[in-house]
Amino acid sequence: MAQPTSLIQYSGHEHFRSRVVLSILSGRHVKIDRIRSEDKNPGLRDFEVSFLRLVEKVTNGTIIEISVTGSAILVKPGIIAGGPVQHECPLSRSIGYFLEPVIMMAPFSKRPLLLTLKGITTDEHDLSVDLLRTVTLPHLQFFGISDGLELRIKKRGSPPNGGGEVQFLCPVVKQVKTINFTDAGKIKRIRGIAHAVRVSPQFSNRMIEASRSVLNRYIPDIYLYSDVYKGEESGKSPGYALSLLAESTTGALHCSEALSEPGVVPEDIALKATRALLSEIERGGCVDRQHQILVLLLMVLGSEDVGKVLMGEPTLRTIQFLRDVKDFFGTSFKIISANSSDPECKQLVFSCYGTGYINSNRTLA
Amino acid sequence: MEDKPHKAHRASQSGNKAEKKAKGKGKEKQHGFNEKAFAPKSGRRADKQGRRTAEKDQTRLHVPLVNRTPDEDPPPVIVAIVGPGGVGKTTLLKSLVRRYTKQTLSEAKGPITVVSGKKRRLTFIECNNDLNSMIDIGKIADLVLLMIDGSFGFEMETFEFLNILQSHGFPKVIGVLTHLDLIKKADTLRATKKTLKKRFWGEIYQGAKLFYLSGVINGRYPDTEIQNLSRFIGVMKFRPLVFRNAHPYMLADRLEDLTPRELVRTTKGKCDRTVTVYGYLRGTNLRLGTKVHIPGVGDLDVKNVTPLGDPCPLPNADSEKRRKLSEKKKLLIHAPMSDVGGVMYDKDAVWINVPGNFTRGNTDILQGEGEQMVMDLQDVSSTLEDAVAKSQIRLFSSSSNPLTAESYAAHAQEDDEDYSDVESDSDAEREAYEDSDDEDDDDGMDEDLASHPQNTGRTSMRTTTRGVPGSSKTRSNVEYADSDSDLGEDDDDVRVRFPGDEKDRDIPSDDDGESMEDPEDDDDEDEEDVPQWKANLAQRALDLSSSRKPKRKDWTKLIYTTELTPEQILNGDKQEAEDIQPEDDDDFFKVKAKFVEIDDVADRAKESPDTEGLKKWEDEDLLEELKRLFITGTDETAEGETEWKGAEGEEDDEEQGGEEDGEQGPETSKAAALAAKKEALKRKFDEQYDDPSEPTVDFYTERKDEIARQLALNRAEFEGIDAEARALVEGFRPGTYVRIELRNVPAEMVENFDPTFPIVVGGLLPAEERFGYVQVRIKRHRWYGRTLKNNDPLILSLGWRRFQTIPIYSLDDHSIRMRMLKYTPEHMHCFATFYGPVSLPNTGFCAFNSLSEGTAGFRISATGVVLDVDRSVKIVKKIKLTGVPLKIWKNTAFVKDMFSSALEVAKFEGANIKTVSGIRGQVKKALPKPDGAFRATFEDKILKSDIVFLRAWYSIQPRKFYNPVTSLLLSDKKSWKGMRLTGTVRREDGIKTPLDVNSTYKKVERAPRRFNPLFVSQKLQAALPYASKPKIMKPQRTQTYLQKRAVVMEPEEKKAVALLQQIRALRKDQVSRRKDKKGEKRDLKARKDKKLEERKTEKEKERKKDVMRMIGQKQSREADAEDGHGRHKRRKTK
Repeated sequence: MAQPTSLIQYSGHEHFRSRVVLSILSGRHVKIDRIRSEDKNPGLRDFEVSFLRLVEKVTNGTIIEISVTGSAILVKPGIIAGGPVQHECPLSRSIGYFLEPVIMMAPFSKRPLLLTLKGITTDEHDLSVDLLRTVTLPHLQFFGISDGLELRIKKRGSPPNGGGEVQFLCPVVKQVKTINFTDAGKIKRIRGIAHAVRVSPQFSNRMIEASRSVLNRYIPDIYLYSDVYKGEESGKSPGYALSLLAESTTGALHCSEALSEPGVVPEDIALKATRALLSEIERGGCVDRQHQILVLLLMVLGSEDVGKVLMGEPTLRTIQFLRDVKDFFGTSFKIISANSSDPECKQLVFSCYGTGYINSNRTLA
Repeated sequence: MEDKPHKAHRASQSGNKAEKKAKGKGKEKQHGFNEKAFAPKSGRRADKQGRRTAEKDQTRLHVPLVNRTPDEDPPPVIVAIVGPGGVGKTTLLKSLVRRYTKQTLSEAKGPITVVSGKKRRLTFIECNNDLNSMIDIGKIADLVLLMIDGSFGFEMETFEFLNILQSHGFPKVIGVLTHLDLIKKADTLRATKKTLKKRFWGEIYQGAKLFYLSGVINGRYPDTEIQNLSRFIGVMKFRPLVFRNAHPYMLADRLEDLTPRELVRTTKGKCDRTVTVYGYLRGTNLRLGTKVHIPGVGDLDVKNVTPLGDPCPLPNADSEKRRKLSEKKKLLIHAPMSDVGGVMYDKDAVWINVPGNFTRGNTDILQGEGEQMVMDLQDVSSTLEDAVAKSQIRLFSSSSNPLTAESYAAHAQEDDEDYSDVESDSDAEREAYEDSDDEDDDDGMDEDLASHPQNTGRTSMRTTTRGVPGSSKTRSNVEYADSDSDLGEDDDDVRVRFPGDEKDRDIPSDDDGESMEDPEDDDDEDEEDVPQWKANLAQRALDLSSSRKPKRKDWTKLIYTTELTPEQILNGDKQEAEDIQPEDDDDFFKVKAKFVEIDDVADRAKESPDTEGLKKWEDEDLLEELKRLFITGTDETAEGETEWKGAEGEEDDEEQGGEEDGEQGPETSKAAALAAKKEALKRKFDEQYDDPSEPTVDFYTERKDEIARQLALNRAEFEGIDAEARALVEGFRPGTYVRIELRNVPAEMVENFDPTFPIVVGGLLPAEERFGYVQVRIKRHRWYGRTLKNNDPLILSLGWRRFQTIPIYSLDDHSIRMRMLKYTPEHMHCFATFYGPVSLPNTGFCAFNSLSEGTAGFRISATGVVLDVDRSVKIVKKIKLTGVPLKIWKNTAFVKDMFSSALEVAKFEGANIKTVSGIRGQVKKALPKPDGAFRATFEDKILKSDIVFLRAWYSIQPRKFYNPVTSLLLSDKKSWKGMRLTGTVRREDGIKTPLDVNSTYKKVERAPRRFNPLFVSQKLQAALPYASKPKIMKPQRTQTYLQKRAVVMEPEEKKAVALLQQIRALRKDQVSRRKDKKGEKRDLKARKDKKLEERKTEKEKERKKDVMRMIGQKQSREADAEDGHGRHKRRKTK
């Protein structure tokens, strides 16, 4: 009766999340094998399994088959249901690991998503919840996803023991808007959040001061907030971090962050974050490196029009993602240099013809 | 007739009349528009008027929709001619075709495309009187010519078709009244027109266009009337319809079977076929890799899509001149299924109709297209093989040695072992097909030659490997193919011989030529044992690359066409990439494993911090340098700015670049930059402060502008990109004439192909390929005679599809639950949930119980809209569990017979229960004995005779039944039969309904209830107060005074009593007599009625006899018609 939708196969454990997300959005079955098959400890890690569990909770009718050894999985996607969902993230990865793919799917769900995630809020591998709130969510606004979009940081939790909690609210859209964002503009303001939990609150002030020492020369509009969480809200482990973001006149956002390391003074952490921000600004484009995937995905899912975005060079993830998108949606991007006369120009214009993806999960009843 | 435009009035400029007018000019002013007269008298009135005009303005507006059809070269407008049988559809079609092309078709079948104007083409299609065809046509027609028999009136089909249109997006409809010449009286004619118009307007909208066609002359409608109609068709404007604006589709005007004949023969025609369909694309772009649905056949995979030359192109500036010259001779028409010029394309043959007798030498008679084709075939002196042998292929225009193919015959022996017979047979067959479509494939011949591997031979044992299309793969002496038949599969490659060369070489065909020319790819092969011709090539490439200036990375190519890993792309290390070029799949992973060490934290958003890279920021100069990127930074020249502006400013860049190239000194450029900056600033200032007078754009115009802007951007983006690359990125645009090759098409579609039934190829969105539970809002059609029953199969027309499914009707019960309904409610919407293919929410549909022609009355049973798509459903129905008390205490009772085990009871602990008398209670706990009995408490003592209810909800799932209406696969396309109801099956097969003994009604024997007398004990009685004491008295034994007294009357009294008695007697008698009389009358009337009744039944019988006779005659006539003659059957409205 139901014809089997064509299966897409991948090998290896890399780009695991984006492939699962693409499968769910496109409705095509995906099989991933040889997941760490050569490793001493083969198969899926706890955070990957946890991510699959989260996907199962957010969707309805998704069938995930994991092989006995855990080195191969088959995902038969269902529909994205949304609604209130709670999930406990393992301590091996931070909340960002789980939230990032959910942000990609959530606008296309049946009901507005209210996701509560518990775990580590900031770590060195994934975007911290601060950046997700201040940078990732504004990116969705380019595509017309804005009303009711919110990320509440209830509790902070530093590694290794976590104990943080965030709430993610996402509205449902019928179709995302086509983006045409090729003017990067100039940086007009810099914002930052320095937080310190279960350590001296003075640390955040020290970080702010150090960061300002570099940034003050550029622009007067710099606000670096010191965000202090006390008692129950501050999680189970000590830690501090600084996340910075720069906004341009046209709304382009660049961000960076650095978090506490043992044996490093807060000033050095702050300088690290600041310099990372400067590199990010220098790299240019309208979208920073961490959000290339999100923006490209939403461009593919746009209406049947040409979307254009100016970016810096694609990252490793982005390159593989572009290939995966072609497998799932058949859409390929046109990538040309922003300035064809200048051979040194590293800015690239990504343009694609949207697939006209309409949220078929949306309910009218 | 009435619409004929009048000549405009021209006032005389001189003479009497003009003078008179000039005299009266002074007076005229008084009669003019008096503004004051219409000015509002009061403020309130002004307000009201203002609001009314505003409201009128707003109602005039429609939601702006994006039109996905391109402005230049749009697809032909589909004009469908629809109506019941015998109304004159074919006549109208022929008349219209004649009007546009001056050609008379004797057999008009399938879509007929003509050029109607400079910017418009029309595809006419006649819709036969079959409901399936009407549904399909309704989904694709842009304009419907709805034909109505004026002498008869509206028929059921007309209304059915209009309702189908309504649920699938309403295209434009023009009504056409025919057979008006049959109405002789002018008055009747006028009255008929009026009534029909009124009804037509009521059905569509007030003022809908209705045409009147009078009689038929020379088998056509009068030319003036047709011309009039064609003018209206010519200026018709179309609003995009939502569904069609989101799906690609095509109306196939030709179908061809490409299956190898041998395969068909061996499987006795039962194998799945490979079929190509031809037609113009419509709707949105057809992307590669999408599935299509052909209504009546099913979901099919697209093997490939090839754009073809337009068989019926719009006139361009060039051809326009020519057309004017030869207009009388011939006008364009494209109708492969009809017999234009005596040629008709069938599924597997081309028919050439030769009128009268045909002699070859007879040159003075003008030959048709088909005759010319046959004569050309006869004229061929050399075979295909010879042509191949003679042909020379040059790889490059500058190549000195042409490649030649040696004759096949010389090496026939070797080839015998190389190629299986089947393969060669089938290929030859296929070639024959491709030759036949020469008019579409201009270069068909060349391709065929190139793709025919048998045409080459070889002298020695084969040493080369299977040809691989991409030249980037290494070529070593490895045997890949086990059987030689594999070799033939790859059509892209040609084995061609070099003169004086011993070995065979694989040469990619011209499809791969592009990649071959790429210098990067060719570098790969330099190191290896390179064949002769390739060495030359590499050398050439090297020269080429050295002469070219260093190129920047081509990201598109690196990402999409190479197999490099992302790391290699980013680092740009070419050498490494070449080293690990995979030889085959197994190697691929080994190599990868070698250098990719397993990283547990892969798939991370943040890259590991590059501490070295960050060190550079300790440099003060670098920090200062970055200031240019901040608003406070020193503003650089325009150049720096444009660098950041990106692609939009590209034109500016080029302009400026040009300026810079030709600049004389830095001063001039500086001045120019300054001027530009000033200009920009001024503009900005103007925008902000200067233009308050500019009217603020309202939402509507803003939205429209936005749409126009986006469309312009889309156009600009793909300008100047070659068609192939464009197709890759955005798919095939609407308006292109394409050939779609479909895989695994059921053989019956080809076998039972009938050009009078439309073949619609509808593209599916990715979501629509999936299946799930679809929730719809549904309403029974008010003209459909019966209510719809839950769990009865229903045929739906939803999206492109027509399918039978089993819906469950439900209604929202206080927003708590979805409660199942047994029947659809009257005059009300309800929900229905069924299993089937997913459709986007808001898609309309209509439903049928039967599609067959024999159904009397209105066939559309329901209409509705899709609300929700899900993978699970939650519909419940009420279930009442009953039990009886076993033992009763005060408020506690033991209840049995509700459950059968203690486990079941445990599941329902705490559930609310109720007795028939309304006493509420709760399930408490299971009893050990008997099984399933439990203790329950109630709010009052219940009776032993009470029945205890437990009201629960039982969830039900719709049956997973999906049965596509495969009408196109049948030989008799009108007789599709889906799943039948049990009752229908029983009736048709003569099976009696099984009767369960327990289901029969039996007389209920109830023992009379006996109530014991209320007994209050003596002791209690004594203690009661008097008011509450039961007052029980013995019955009276002795006679009372009234009974036992004697009455003695006075004489007057006696008299009076006697009189009264007499009066009463008289009255009684009167009444009884009156009653008798009435009875007599009643009898009389009954007798009379009976007589009337008899007469009536007699009449009814006669009438029925008449009807049956007529039906019999009709059936016999139909049987005649099926033999080949006679008019279509017509179902009349009552």
